[in-house]
Amino acid sequence: MSQMLSPDMTIAAEAVTKAKIEVKNLNFYYGQSKALKDITLSLPERSVTAFIGPSGCGKSTLLRVFNRIYELYPKQTAEGQVLLDGQNILDRSQDLNLLRTKIGMVFQKPTPFPMSIYENIAFGVRLYEKISKAEMDGRVEQALKRAALWTEVKDKLNASGLSLSGGQQQRLCIARTVAVKPEVILLDEPASALDPLSTAKIEELIDELQADYTIVIVTHNMQQAARVSKQTAFMYLGELVEFDRTEKIFTSPREKRTQDYITGRFG
Amino acid sequence: MSAVQEALPAVRSSRDATVRRFALTDSIFHGMTRAAAILVLVLLGGVAISLVAGSWQALSTFGFSFLTSESWNPVTEKFGALAPIYGTIITSAIAILIAVPLGIGIAIFLTELCPRPLRRPIGMAVELLAGIPSIIYGIWGLFVLAPFLQTTVQPFIISVFHGVPGLNGLFAGPPYGIGLLTSAMILAIMILPFITSITKDVFDTVPSVLKESAYGIGCTTWEVTRRVVIPYTRIGIMGGVMLALGRALGETMAVTFVIGNAHRISTSLFAPATTISATIANEFTEAVGDLYTSSLVALGLILFVITFLILAIARYMLMRIDARTGA
Repeated sequence: MSQMLSPDMTIAAEAVTKAKIEVKNLNFYYGQSKALKDITLSLPERSVTAFIGPSGCGKSTLLRVFNRIYELYPKQTAEGQVLLDGQNILDRSQDLNLLRTKIGMVFQKPTPFPMSIYENIAFGVRLYEKISKAEMDGRVEQALKRAALWTEVKDKLNASGLSLSGGQQQRLCIARTVAVKPEVILLDEPASALDPLSTAKIEELIDELQADYTIVIVTHNMQQAARVSKQTAFMYLGELVEFDRTEKIFTSPREKRTQDYITGRFG
Repeated sequence: MSAVQEALPAVRSSRDATVRRFALTDSIFHGMTRAAAILVLVLLGGVAISLVAGSWQALSTFGFSFLTSESWNPVTEKFGALAPIYGTIITSAIAILIAVPLGIGIAIFLTELCPRPLRRPIGMAVELLAGIPSIIYGIWGLFVLAPFLQTTVQPFIISVFHGVPGLNGLFAGPPYGIGLLTSAMILAIMILPFITSITKDVFDTVPSVLKESAYGIGCTTWEVTRRVVIPYTRIGIMGGVMLALGRALGETMAVTFVIGNAHRISTSLFAPATTISATIANEFTEAVGDLYTSSLVALGLILFVITFLILAIARYMLMRIDARTGA
């Protein structure tokens, strides 16, 4: 089914702008079990793409292929091609650390490092850049402003990152990701553990960030996908069922399964 | 329906009997477990009381100077605990210095780098080290390690540091083979499994998503370990080190074999010395006078207090990391 539709989908996405990430015939395995089945899609640059679908449909798995974080675990393998600016990142010769500085990731639960707020951001920057204290101060401030956290933390930069509230911690994680100057930001259900107010702030932030970054967001929340994304991919049981402009998916989906899911008939 | 109603009283009365029986067995069970728990406290208290009572004569004769005097003379019956205390603390401290980096290194290798099939065999091999009886370490130390150190390592180190200010004092004197450093090395091997397995366990408490996010900004394994895993588990590692220290302080047999049993304080790590437990083990059979025996018991009391404090600190630290991961 997905193979039949894929050419069409690619065109729909490419019409908007240049593709940043192109996935071609991607299969993914946890040991023997196949979690992604022949996924082909193309994510446009500087725009938000949402992956939706019921639990276990493979949307997080697909996200985790993009920065190859799955390789931390044995027996997880990906086949096919994932092109970042035309270069296959699944290639053996791809340097993983370099890839991960280009593709930042924010997780479902906030994961501040066990260090100060300032260090949480400076740490990642320092890994790849030698810059002066003054420049670093600037970078930290800029990243925190980007993540709409600066006014809340500017007087306690030396406090532990763990002392912040859940919503603030998540914005700290986004700030940390932004500070490394990635090209793509992967968000794995970034607001699912947050209250509505913090969620609204995160969504606002995503909206601002898409001016500079290619953003991919996995979400359970269909309203959220509708609010923040330009394109939406609906996945089901490891297959890409439908990929199109978000309005199209939510108003007149081509597939019956998509229709059923977004109207809450299953999932 | 009516049959069921007729049967009800019978069911009730048998149920009541069962409940009464359960209440009885339950209270017996309660009582037994509580008694077992109290027994531990009674034993601990008993040990403490008999140590204090046994050491009373020595402590009242020598007073505070028992802790500060270096002399240990059975002939004139002048006893001071400073040399064994010094030996105990120095050997344990050096053992910790050697074993902690090694143990943490092994734990990092096992949790982060080791190919999965090798993980269990290596982990088990390290833990088997803990199962070797201490007398075996003692014999091995005396007949294998000490002669080896005496003939090769010690002469080399002495000649290297000869004339270097400060260090020539630490590594001076004739190479006996046995002495402070040899004991510390044996102790380091003995406590290595404790440090390794506790460090490994606390490393496993680091949420994988936290490690993923560190790898996710481009960290190498070394950076993830140093900046995220170790800071996150700091308290647990400290707890493990304290437990190992507690064991090193009290270790008797292996140390008695290789320490040299000399009641003196020397700056050289190659010099023979003694520890509290080695002194007690060596001299208890030949302690003739009451004051001599009492002094040995007083040494035991000092060791009891030191290890009790160290273990209490260790437990407290491990509890703190449990509380955090449980939250």
